[in-house]
Amino acid sequence: MNHLPDNLHPLTQSQLTLWAGQQMHPKAPLHNVVYTFDIQGSIDETIFKKAFAQLIDQTEVFRTYFTESRSSPLQGIKSTMAPNLQVIDFTQSTKDEVDQWVKKHTLSPIDLSQRVFESALLKLKGERYIWFLKLHHLVTDAVTYSILFNRMADLYGRMRNGQGTTLPTSASFASYAALEQEEGNNPKNQASLAYWKKKVDDQENLEKLYGEANDPYTTKARRIEVSLGPKRSEQLKQLAKDPRVRSWTEDSSLFTIFASLYFIFLYRVSGQRKLTIGAPAHNRGNRRFQQTPGLFIEVLPLSIEIGENDTFYSVLQRVRAETHVFLRHIGPGRLASVKEKNSTALLNYIHVDFSDFDGLPTSVNWVHNGHIDSSHSLRLHVYDFTKGGGFQLAFDIKNSLLDEDRASRIPEHFLSLFDAFLAHIELPIGKPKLMGNDRKQETTGTQKTNGYPGVPVLRQFEQWVDKKPHTIALQSKDQILTYHLLNKRANQLAHLLRTKDIGKGSRVALYMHRSPEYVISVLALMKIGAVFVPIASDQPSERLAYIVGNSRCCLVLTDCNLRKKGIIGLENSLNLKHIAPELESQRSDNPQNPIKPESICYILYTSGSTGKPKGVKITNQGLANYLDWAKATYATDKNTIFALFTSIGFDLTVTSVFLPLISGGQLVVYKEDPRGADTSIFRVMDDNLANTIKLTPSHLALLRKRDLASSVLHTLIVGGEDLKVSLAQEISRSFSKEIKIFNEYGPTEATIGCVATRYDPARHKGASVPIGHPIDHMQAFVFDEYENQVPQGVPGELYIGGIGLATGYVGPADMTTAKFIDHPLAEHTKLYRSGDLVRTNKEGELEYLGRKDDQVKLRGHRIELSEIEARLVEHEGIADCAVLLIETEAAEPEEETINCSRCGLPSNYPGTDFDGQGVCHLCRAFDSYKEKVDGHFRNDGQLVALLTSKRGQNPDYDCISLLSGGKDSTYVLARLINMGLKVLAFTLDNGYISPQAKANIDRIVTRLNVDHMYGKTPHMNEIFVDSLQRHKNVCNGCFKTIYTLSTKIALEKQIPFIVTGLSRGQLFETRLTEELFWDDNLDSAKIDDTLLEARKLYHQESDAVKKLLDTSIFDDDQTFEKVQFVDFYRFSNVSLSEMLLYLKEKVGWERPTDTGRSTNCLINQVGIHVHKKEMGYSNYSFPYSWDVRLGHKTRNESLEEINELIDEIEVNRIIKEIGYIEPPDSTMDARRLVAYYTGDPNLSVNEIQLSMAKKLPAYMIPARFKHLTEIPLTKNGKMDKSALKGLTSVQLEMSTPYEAPGNEIEELLEGIWKEVLQLKKIGIHDDFIALGGHSLAAIRVTARINEEIEMNFPLNKVFEYPTIASYANFIEKTLTTLLEN
Amino acid sequence: MKDKIAQFIIEHLANETLATIDGNEDLLGNGIIDSLGMMQLINYIENEAGIQIPPQDMVLENFMTIENMMAYITSSKEHKTRPQ
Repeated sequence: MNHLPDNLHPLTQSQLTLWAGQQMHPKAPLHNVVYTFDIQGSIDETIFKKAFAQLIDQTEVFRTYFTESRSSPLQGIKSTMAPNLQVIDFTQSTKDEVDQWVKKHTLSPIDLSQRVFESALLKLKGERYIWFLKLHHLVTDAVTYSILFNRMADLYGRMRNGQGTTLPTSASFASYAALEQEEGNNPKNQASLAYWKKKVDDQENLEKLYGEANDPYTTKARRIEVSLGPKRSEQLKQLAKDPRVRSWTEDSSLFTIFASLYFIFLYRVSGQRKLTIGAPAHNRGNRRFQQTPGLFIEVLPLSIEIGENDTFYSVLQRVRAETHVFLRHIGPGRLASVKEKNSTALLNYIHVDFSDFDGLPTSVNWVHNGHIDSSHSLRLHVYDFTKGGGFQLAFDIKNSLLDEDRASRIPEHFLSLFDAFLAHIELPIGKPKLMGNDRKQETTGTQKTNGYPGVPVLRQFEQWVDKKPHTIALQSKDQILTYHLLNKRANQLAHLLRTKDIGKGSRVALYMHRSPEYVISVLALMKIGAVFVPIASDQPSERLAYIVGNSRCCLVLTDCNLRKKGIIGLENSLNLKHIAPELESQRSDNPQNPIKPESICYILYTSGSTGKPKGVKITNQGLANYLDWAKATYATDKNTIFALFTSIGFDLTVTSVFLPLISGGQLVVYKEDPRGADTSIFRVMDDNLANTIKLTPSHLALLRKRDLASSVLHTLIVGGEDLKVSLAQEISRSFSKEIKIFNEYGPTEATIGCVATRYDPARHKGASVPIGHPIDHMQAFVFDEYENQVPQGVPGELYIGGIGLATGYVGPADMTTAKFIDHPLAEHTKLYRSGDLVRTNKEGELEYLGRKDDQVKLRGHRIELSEIEARLVEHEGIADCAVLLIETEAAEPEEETINCSRCGLPSNYPGTDFDGQGVCHLCRAFDSYKEKVDGHFRNDGQLVALLTSKRGQNPDYDCISLLSGGKDSTYVLARLINMGLKVLAFTLDNGYISPQAKANIDRIVTRLNVDHMYGKTPHMNEIFVDSLQRHKNVCNGCFKTIYTLSTKIALEKQIPFIVTGLSRGQLFETRLTEELFWDDNLDSAKIDDTLLEARKLYHQESDAVKKLLDTSIFDDDQTFEKVQFVDFYRFSNVSLSEMLLYLKEKVGWERPTDTGRSTNCLINQVGIHVHKKEMGYSNYSFPYSWDVRLGHKTRNESLEEINELIDEIEVNRIIKEIGYIEPPDSTMDARRLVAYYTGDPNLSVNEIQLSMAKKLPAYMIPARFKHLTEIPLTKNGKMDKSALKGLTSVQLEMSTPYEAPGNEIEELLEGIWKEVLQLKKIGIHDDFIALGGHSLAAIRVTARINEEIEMNFPLNKVFEYPTIASYANFIEKTLTTLLEN
Repeated sequence: MKDKIAQFIIEHLANETLATIDGNEDLLGNGIIDSLGMMQLINYIENEAGIQIPPQDMVLENFMTIENMMAYITSSKEHKTRPQ
């Protein structure tokens, strides 16, 4: 073998991609490309062999081999290569045997280092041959096959005719590879490279196809081919000529049509609106390479966004424009910028055709190798090898995505769209059905109704009365009733009601507690054919009145004191407590009354979207059907003990009332607590009587962490909400035995439960337990917006049919007809539109995906809130969660703000009020206490006296001077030295001091000849992130770190003072509040005491510094005596210009130019950026306004500094570097996603966000995460989303539910807190610190409280009693004690 | 301009070797260039004529022949100079 090492050259970008794919799956034949040429006629085998040998000699690709050098692949050309063409006789074989041979040789591996091809000539029966040609994809594409076929046919023909055998030469592939390299570096291609890079960055890959996500580790796939046939192909070509449709050429028109259809198809079977497909460009634009065999194609992305308002034509127009841009930017060398990201769906429009083989008719077949690129879920190949014979569509579908059955339906779905497009190009893309109505396999549910209706519910109960009269049927806290007694009491009530003209069809409201009387009343009404309307006792009177009026109840049966509840004016009510004697005298036999299956049994009110509850009319047969199924499925019998502990107004509860009584079992009734939340579930668990309960997942979640080892419960029926697998799993595990958990789905309108499954830990591994299959005699359909059935796996809306459907709503028919639609697939039947999104999973079980109303559109993305919830609960720290789209008040845009005419404070600073002269309220107020402030300030002499007051203690240092390197702190240091003090300078190296600032620091300390230390912490980035989240700046975190570290040094070195360089403006920002100067006579000592208290509290505030640094020194009060903080600028009054002059002349300080601002710190601008973005104004606005107010800066100087430009690129780099995740830009859309969760309260938001970022696209990651101690529940025990929505954005940051002030003191406190904290609404359990209260706010709040109630509470009470409720309680007690004394 | 376009097609885009191209020759219909070539030609025209060709103008009527292209370029330039 003759190696030509010089001839080795690197692989092209396309080759590298294939190489990498092959390396990942070395055994898979995924890049074996096989064509078989079926040649009709007689072939001279000897000449054919010779011709093939010539072909190899004259065609480099056959002689190409691959090798690796230092793990980089290289390719070379061997000078010779044996053809190894076998001629195999299949004349005696069956077609199957031939196919078997072809399949085997298609799949056999290719050794790239030896031989990239395999070929054979199969001789078949009759005059027929198959030329088999296999090449590795690294050396071929479809055009190559046509070139090779033509060359072979040419050679064979020439040799047969005795002509010369030299073929025309073409440019080598190596020269193409070189051209690719060259073009990739060619500056004129920069625009194209940038285009592709951006395209790939913006690319949204297909997340799910038919509801299934791609598994990137498998490659096995099946190919399903379908022929368009001559008629459809012809129609297609006609359409391609339509002036509305056509593009440059027929091929580009056809490509545009197929790409449009493909996008629409993907949209329909994924629901995804932003779509990207990969499409190979043939890439032989350069004439030199038109006859060069080799891998030329490059797969590049095409993206569009489509939606439900699109028509075929509107999509086509966008696809055509996108295709033009695509074509504009393709060319050799462009792939380098896109290779990192693959599309999951590929469209391969092949425009290659083959003629005959030396006059012999030939048909061409591209043989599938059984594999697909691991990144692809689906490929569609479109080709017409015969030119005019009709198009062939080949779908390659990954096996791990869809099984054979589901995959086999793809062509039907695609062709349905295709035909609709051909027929009517203006059709909305959602309208055509994807499959015919006869596809019943897409339907779930049983149609059987044989032997139904069965025995009515009441009769089943009465049978148990006869069979086991003395068995206990019901017990409550104060009574036990046997079946006989229960029946007797029901009969007595029934007879009494009859005397009051209550009978068949009468509607009677049961406004009652959960009690034996409720059960008796229900049975009594059923016995006389009356309709019961349950209304829980905790319902407010307005709702009661509405329901009674709306349902036209002729009687309200109650056990409540209506007058006490303020309910008056009910025309006809009967209190069961008042009729006991009357009842005793009634007959006790069963009233005679035939039960009609289709008549109404009860009316249940559910909350309606209009705000008014809707009454749902449930039939006897619907109830019986559900209960019969439930009895069989939940295996209830005489041993069943059911607890009745959920609201009677909730249809879930109907199961608990009846199921034990038709099973011969027992019902234990738990009356609700009239006050506060219903905690009956805990009593059920404590009593440990019930072995079967039905409840909501939210209720079930309350059992978490409870010891259930000795519980007698064995069956849990869960309904009403989405059941998370994590919850089911946790609950199952907390029992010592195996328990049954059933997940039951059912809107009230379909009678209690209509779809159900048993939770199976082995099968149910997703986020939620599927809702399962329809119950007996019920059907479920999944429809799209046009009421077309969606294919299996595709999300759609659940429609329910069957015997259990309610007859409709009480009241006008329009509401009923809107929700109960005519069955599109069956006449004379109705379907209920559930408003729930579901899909059918691989096992045919329905999965609940959320409410249709929960599907939100945010910034162009359609977002399924439940999907985010599902990902969130996968996080181990999160127990339960809800995600909502919340409106936020947008910050006032910066350009619309005005600045105070005196100090420059911007108008969007919270709580700002400007007067007629444009002067802010702070300036106005300051006028009134300016003198007192002046009295609080000191002079240089006093500073020296203070700092030398403890000189005896430490001979080395009088104080530490905090030196940031900025102008203020440098001035402090210089002046302290100048005053003759002994100083240790301390600098926090936060990792972002600019090089120039650092040089400044080093120069200054040398020049001033002062001892200097740098402090450091490895946690700086976490502290920055925490500070950005808490304060929307970086400075707070930095300050606290400096104070902590410098105090530690001061303690160690016994240095009594730390001197800060806070400007006077910053003193007002962080320490001096207006309230401190409220006393008529200035008392500086008192202010100092208050500030010291505040400082102690400041160090106790829990934040990243407290968590990550050792702050134990601050637990000891003595620390604050040993080390005192002294604010230099309290003693020194210097203007900015004076300061700069001094620094220039005396110190040699230079303003750094490498921070982009007048700061010494590179990260500073990140804080400003975040603050501006989230709050709308710079964090310097406030302190600078004080600098101006105090005369240290002019208004212009201040505004100039505040308006300095921010280097966005640098900011973004640092944000990434420290790991801060920015909430989405709220100026674009004031709405944001908020996640509410229960679980680990110590989870960091950043941690959740980072873990979400791995699972969800950025636009689906909630901007806010709110921890809740528990999820608020509605009366029915469901998650109360509207309560969550009512929380303000600030309360979102806190972990307490909202409760309004309940008394005068609480209202007073709320008022003060709102003013100081600048909030609109504060709940009495909201934590002061969580609301943003800090030591400074504590000063203000305490001062105001003391002022209002004329007390002298110390500062720390705010932290001791950190909620309005607890502080109010403290005040009340204090006042009471005072009064008593 | 007309000659430049013809020359560009002959040198870079034409599927076959041509000496000249008639201004009324149907370039796409007669297989002289394909859709890829057309987009390269549009790139070229944009650069040479200093115009931007919006997607809706990329239709056969404007680019079928070199004459069509010249007419389009002229009208496009007029449109551009017309006061808004």
